Amino acid sequence: MRLIARFAQELRNGIEIVDVYDKETQKSLLSFDNLKIETLTKKYPSAIWMERKISDEFGVEFTNSFDTRPLLKHEHFPSDIYPLRKDFNATDINFTEYKPYDYEAIGGDGVFQVAVGPIHAGIIEPGHFQFSQAGEEILHLEIRHFYKYRAIEKMCEGKEPMSIKKIVERISGNESVAYQVAFVNILAQASGIELPESLKQKYATLLEVERIIHHVTDIGFIANDVGFAPALALGSKLSEEARRVFVKLTGHRFGFGAIKEELTIDFASLIDFLNYLKKELEFFRDWIYDIPSVWDRFDTTGKLSIKKVKKYGVVGVGARASGVKVDARDNNFYKNFGYQMQLGKKGEVSDRFKLRFNEIFNSIEMIKNFETYDNDGFEFSEFKDGEYSAFSESSMGELFMYLKVKDGLVDRFFVRDPSFINWQAFHTTIYKDIIADFPLINKSFDLSYAGNDL
Amino acid sequence: MYRYWEKRFKTTLEQDAELEAIKKELKKLVKQKFGGSLAIRMVDSGSCNACEAECNALSNPYYNLEELGIHFVASPRHADVMFLSGVMTFNMYHHAIDCYNQIPSPKWVIAIGDCVKDLGVFEKTYAIKGNSIEVTHYISNCPPSPKDIISGLLEFARDV
Repeated sequence: MRLIARFAQELRNGIEIVDVYDKETQKSLLSFDNLKIETLTKKYPSAIWMERKISDEFGVEFTNSFDTRPLLKHEHFPSDIYPLRKDFNATDINFTEYKPYDYEAIGGDGVFQVAVGPIHAGIIEPGHFQFSQAGEEILHLEIRHFYKYRAIEKMCEGKEPMSIKKIVERISGNESVAYQVAFVNILAQASGIELPESLKQKYATLLEVERIIHHVTDIGFIANDVGFAPALALGSKLSEEARRVFVKLTGHRFGFGAIKEELTIDFASLIDFLNYLKKELEFFRDWIYDIPSVWDRFDTTGKLSIKKVKKYGVVGVGARASGVKVDARDNNFYKNFGYQMQLGKKGEVSDRFKLRFNEIFNSIEMIKNFETYDNDGFEFSEFKDGEYSAFSESSMGELFMYLKVKDGLVDRFFVRDPSFINWQAFHTTIYKDIIADFPLINKSFDLSYAGNDL
Repeated sequence: MYRYWEKRFKTTLEQDAELEAIKKELKKLVKQKFGGSLAIRMVDSGSCNACEAECNALSNPYYNLEELGIHFVASPRHADVMFLSGVMTFNMYHHAIDCYNQIPSPKWVIAIGDCVKDLGVFEKTYAIKGNSIEVTHYISNCPPSPKDIISGLLEFARDV
């Protein structure tokens, strides 16, 4: 079984730990006077961040865990509060005295630490990377995130389900449509509505356009990270053109507010653009495949082995580039419209780079099949109390969303961003590489910090 | 590789007359007021990454901000202007202020996006502190498009 998420929620008589696997969901209730449960990390190493998060948020202790350091609570964060408990209502807390964080570090003669971040050299999100180095070679990397922790989960609690839509849209800008699709599926379940087929096709279309934009941007940036700047010029030009088409489709450059109860999509002009984009990308691909100095850096770099993919439960491009079949779109709906899973072989930067081209071409084929002019809409009625969950496949990977409605209001909102898993497997990819390869490997996965931190 | 050389330069871009006019005036002002070079350090204090994506888009061939002498730099010590985006989280607060303090005077702060001003669609939680760095100029929208940012830079350059 693959572990998808482990999270907690407060009930009247205790704290419930929910373990979501691909085949089943298990729940354990812990009473308030004994908040202890066995760790899952021996079997599922990527449970460690999930458990450290639960410890920080609810004060649950995980027995036999190999790591009990705080995760969300950084140096100045008060350690004696459990903010996701229902009795915690403060919206402002004070900084406490500086408590140093105990980084994982390797010692020894000539071994030194390189601390990178949270603020990086480029225009990117904040996060910290702590390297143990022997000269150029990386001995160990610890990734420390949650600088962008906004407490989205708490922010959504106690509100009407519809009113958190605008927040959900903006959790991670690059995955906005994926978040909205998962959210609308949850709302449909909660109001007992089956989404009309034509509307599903339109949602899927927007999701694929978002994926195309993101992949095209990445293709330019990945090549730029080996010093091949013309690829960035071409890639960023094409992604700008795609974004302008996205504005015509959704009214917004990132598709905020795109997933509505009724939608009209001008498929004819979208497909015209996609035909042009396909031609340009074929040229791009043939051009860059012909440049040996690029592949000299791409090949053998940042290898994520199949073993690690399975052990960590890696999702998305990271998993598929290693040849592991994980995709939330791997179902009959998508297959009927021409979905074909694209797989890489070795899980290196080159595989992830090539996979993005192949996924774009498959997305373009699917969008042509999604073409529909049926204008079926629906309306949400009342949201029934209960627990609902949904998946969607963002450009980074499988997204899991959970919503509990109680008395018509949001009682618990939880998201497991694909990046949350993939960041944890990331450190396994760098051991044969030098520190200068790190930005390249990082970009080849292109994970989200905002979605990870919440 | 050579066989692709010619085709690459045939690409034509759709011209936006309004944008060209803004860029022309901005270039003139950068030359007059900043000696032809304006260095920007971008700091994300807790955004959704859309503002960062739009700032990256400023370097694409459609906007090509670098031709105006405006460029993004890797260190605050090289910067004249700080671009600040995001809600300013509890965990980023000290780091963002550290970064601001490292910028040599004279310095200006330009806020990118609605989050900096009033948290945008987000609401105050324990994990959000809100910005306390003095902002010279706000560029609003969620997120501001590259054109919004360039127009905002022009307004900033006029006022300075």
